[in-house]
Amino acid sequence: MTGGTVRLRLPDGAEFEGPIVDLRGVDADVSPAAILAAIRAGCPTRPDRPTVYAPPPTRVHTHVCRLSPEIPLDRRAALAAVGAARGVETTSDADLAAAKRSLRDLSVPTVDDAELRAARRRAAEAGSETERLRERVATLRGRVAARRVDGDDDAVAEAETALSEATRELSEASTEEVAATQRLATLERRADRSRDAREKRLRLEDRIANRRRARRAAHADAVEPDFRDARGRIGSALGGRFGTCGDDAGTPLRDALAVAAVAPIRAPVVVDPDVVSALGGPEATFERLDAPLVIR
Amino acid sequence: MLLVVTYSRRARETLRNACRSHEGTVVRRFGRAALLRETEYGAFLACRLRERHAGDVQVQRTEPFNEFADVPDAVREAAVAYARRDSPHTPYDRFAADTDHPDASEMRGSEL
Repeated sequence: MTGGTVRLRLPDGAEFEGPIVDLRGVDADVSPAAILAAIRAGCPTRPDRPTVYAPPPTRVHTHVCRLSPEIPLDRRAALAAVGAARGVETTSDADLAAAKRSLRDLSVPTVDDAELRAARRRAAEAGSETERLRERVATLRGRVAARRVDGDDDAVAEAETALSEATRELSEASTEEVAATQRLATLERRADRSRDAREKRLRLEDRIANRRRARRAAHADAVEPDFRDARGRIGSALGGRFGTCGDDAGTPLRDALAVAAVAPIRAPVVVDPDVVSALGGPEATFERLDAPLVIR
Repeated sequence: MLLVVTYSRRARETLRNACRSHEGTVVRRFGRAALLRETEYGAFLACRLRERHAGDVQVQRTEPFNEFADVPDAVREAAVAYARRDSPHTPYDRFAADTDHPDASEMRGSEL
């Protein structure tokens, strides 16, 4: 189940090796946090930091890497990680894999948003331009009629020239408006086609998220009985220390120790010396947790 | 009203947050879509969503549907007659055969 051995080098060059690295008597200024960072970082590390040679931590490890009385624990998440690490099969696996495959194979047509935006702008501008010219043509028609009533031939000619000029501009603007509207409609249709694929992608993403939730719950449920057994044994061993009582009540530390006991862990966990003493010493702790230890 | 439809998880999340913070502007919410009031502020929210999520947001301007103004009489009357038919299992095409009601494929091909 476990790989077993750890090699740890402190910045002063001191080296430790074995399934149990006991740093209780070591004076060096090396914090549990620094050791955890080294476990996560692997090697090489900076010369002023400790280095740990061990298998890389898995998802379970993050929940129980620091076993101290103050440990925070999300019990369900930790148990789900244990189930996953044990390779528990769930009814969601097949559907999850299928949904992931479908998502991978789904191609979503790209839409050039800048182009679409430019088309919207052009259609809007063309629309307001024709609107403006329509009003201008109407005004000039009125002016021509009024000049005719006045009987001023020069003024009539002038107004007619202005009217025919505006009419020509209006016809150009209308042509532009039609072109802009058609262009926009074409791009909108293309965007709509891409939305079908986007909608499909969204449904697949939701399905994957749901299946993952279901799988996590199934993983946690699968290891719950073993976890409860282990928690009972740990509870007896702790015998009421760290606020645990003899009964079945869980505390974060008791739960975390039980999680560590039932999980396949190959990267070392850093255990508080008081916890090690409560469990009956380094050997007994190692037996219970079945994981490489660094005691600090 | 302004109909906003989202097509990605992040766009949906943004819409959800916008709806939560601006309830006065939201007429209806339907999961990944919402109807916003046609105020400048509704437009402001729609523009923001479009700016942030581009192709993952669709914005349509909607208006109330008046079947007496927007629909040809024959179509409206066919719908009323079909809704009141005697046998609930008759498909429309069979119902419309040998009557003056427009047939479905004809209606499908005609823009409103």
